[in-house]
Amino acid sequence: MDTRYHVTLADKLVFVVSACMVGLSYYHFWESGPAQHAVVRDHQQHAHYIDLQQDGIHTVNGMLGTSTLEVQDRQLRFTDSPCSNKLCIQSGWHRQSGDIAACLPNRISVQLARNGEPREYDAINF
Amino acid sequence: MQNPVAHIQTSRDDHLVAGFAALAIAIHVLESVIPTPIPGIKPGLANLITLYVLLRHGWRMAASVSLLRVLGASLVLGTLLSPTFIMSLSGALASLLVLGLTYRLPGRPLGATGLAILAALAHMLAQFLTAWALFIPHPSLWTLLPILLTAALISGTLGGILLLKIMQRVDVLSTQ
Repeated sequence: MDTRYHVTLADKLVFVVSACMVGLSYYHFWESGPAQHAVVRDHQQHAHYIDLQQDGIHTVNGMLGTSTLEVQDRQLRFTDSPCSNKLCIQSGWHRQSGDIAACLPNRISVQLARNGEPREYDAINF
Repeated sequence: MQNPVAHIQTSRDDHLVAGFAALAIAIHVLESVIPTPIPGIKPGLANLITLYVLLRHGWRMAASVSLLRVLGASLVLGTLLSPTFIMSLSGALASLLVLGLTYRLPGRPLGATGLAILAALAHMLAQFLTAWALFIPHPSLWTLLPILLTAALISGTLGGILLLKIMQRVDVLSTQ
């Protein structure tokens, strides 16, 4: 019997093993964990790292003045900023990796990350 | 006086490679105009030609056909040396490598279906890694990988079964 012409036992085995691996890939890549640290950039593009495992109050100097960030239970929020709209404060708590909070008037941005520093850009389109 | 036209000796295999490559290029170009819901997902019918040649004529000819397809289709589509071309080439090289390693296993346990699944997954994984390394180095891209691998598994399985039917049909026709 020429194995090339039939669905063999090995073929079925390849299918089952592949299906399991693909299934595991969902488990591995789709679990979106909470962020572990935050990268804060000020108006001079200086990066500050905040560990989200430790609760506390952090201050960052921006273009207009000092913004205050609060870390509690692995979450982060703006509690004060010298801007007029206070949109950064109203955006509330951030906890997922990849979340971004910013105070544009004060030129301060915060990005939450799980492993390593977030990249400089998301995508290039051709 | 010598004939100014150079004559290249061509073998039967050369003609077969040319014919199969032409067929694969045509399918590749047709496939490239089919819209897909998610970028990166294609039926992969052009690769069935590679697999057919592998099973009938061996790995070397399959490699020739596959690489000629990548080159020829990129010339037709105008994507030579563009990111599309690099993605296409990386996928072709990876699936050729995996096919070369698996189709001559002792006892030839794998049929068209198993080989098609392995080739499709290798193709997808290589393209994904190339995209991640060269064009979209963002951690979020990995979220797309399970979906792409699922698509590769489905298209590989269906493609393999389709190839079995085609090979059986070709046999019936050629013995008539």
